[in-house]
Amino acid sequence: MAVVLLPAVLAAEAGGQKRFELEAATVGDALRQLPVQNLLFDEAGELRRLINVYVDGLDARGGRLLQEPLRPDSEVRVVGAVAGG
Amino acid sequence: MGVLLPVGTRKGLFLLRSDDGKAWDVEGPLLTGWAVYHAIVDPRDGALHAATNNPFYGATVHRSDDGGRNWERAEELGLPEEGDLKLNATWHIEPGADSELWLGGDPGVLFRSDDGGRKWQLNRGLFEHPTREQWQPGAGGMCTHSIQLVNGTIYVAISAAGAFRSEDGGESWTPINKHVAAEFMPDPYPEVGQCVHKLLVHPQLHERLWQQNHCGVYRSDDRGDTWERLDGNGLPTSFGFPLALDPEDPDVAYVIPEQSQEHHYTADGRLGVYRTADGGASWALASDGLPERAWVAVLREGLAYDDGAIYFGTQSGSVWTAPRGGDRWTEAARDLPPILSVEAAPA
Repeated sequence: MAVVLLPAVLAAEAGGQKRFELEAATVGDALRQLPVQNLLFDEAGELRRLINVYVDGLDARGGRLLQEPLRPDSEVRVVGAVAGG
Repeated sequence: MGVLLPVGTRKGLFLLRSDDGKAWDVEGPLLTGWAVYHAIVDPRDGALHAATNNPFYGATVHRSDDGGRNWERAEELGLPEEGDLKLNATWHIEPGADSELWLGGDPGVLFRSDDGGRKWQLNRGLFEHPTREQWQPGAGGMCTHSIQLVNGTIYVAISAAGAFRSEDGGESWTPINKHVAAEFMPDPYPEVGQCVHKLLVHPQLHERLWQQNHCGVYRSDDRGDTWERLDGNGLPTSFGFPLALDPEDPDVAYVIPEQSQEHHYTADGRLGVYRTADGGASWALASDGLPERAWVAVLREGLAYDDGAIYFGTQSGSVWTAPRGGDRWTEAARDLPPILSVEAAPA
């Protein structure tokens, strides 16, 4: 099963759970199963602009993002974009 | 009776409690990670509701039934999937009739909840208002920041769209901006487009409305049909954001003017609360105890009142309170994060 790791604010919104093990074929499949999916996606179903996703250490925005395929042992990290000073 | 102040900040919610209005306990931060644009205690059931925003995770609303220990996030809140507009921020929560709650947001939107803030329905009458194309966002976005419900009438104010009144539960909305200036527009007195900063209805005299506007302070004695501009008789400037009233005397109001639309800090280099006791015909400083050299800002939701006192919070993290009348101010808390909102509730 793929593992999804959440940052602190999202983990608090997920009842304190930071780590999720999920059956998911793609990044989008995994993120939409999370109890915080309405914080990750806007009304149009688009991943919010300042959320980055790393799959096994690689930025999914540099790949196929939500369509990025996952392996059973993939690790998906959700990270707020770093900006400012 | 004690008082509880839900104080929304850029870095979460703080709860200030006092039994005597003099000694204050500060609890928080709660809802860490969220900017709390506005928070209330629902007088009907004691639930806390907070309009919460995060630059990464968007705009939402949180509810707590146990005084802030545990929070529940809204399940359904957003704009229609098929449209181009997205919910940019949640701004103001207001209890309505029976069990309903109302929520104002950006871009100039209004929602209603009938289940205590878990699911929110978009108000289509305002969302599809025929004048919407003439609305313009201000520096704070296009926020629905004022919601007042009086005897079945709903008032909202939006920056910069103006004030609107609904007599049919929110099905339709009439612009109520006559004689209100929009000096930044080609036509300085348009039907809509005024930049209202805060609008309040007097809780006893329901025909009387007040507003602090980008272009002046105004009073209406006919439910918003017409407005009279009031600044210039003791106010140092016409520009400011917050507004408070007196629970019984409809001729009393408080504002905290800022230097100008370009310089968002208190006027004349002092923290000045100005009070009128004659319906706005004249204004006088009511700032005993406040710093006389200060360049601070009090945002549109940062001033509140109840039956016994008035309260405000600054962008520099201080909460000030004075007995009703504003005769003598004391600092209830300091060094909080930048304060976005203050409300008052019985504790």
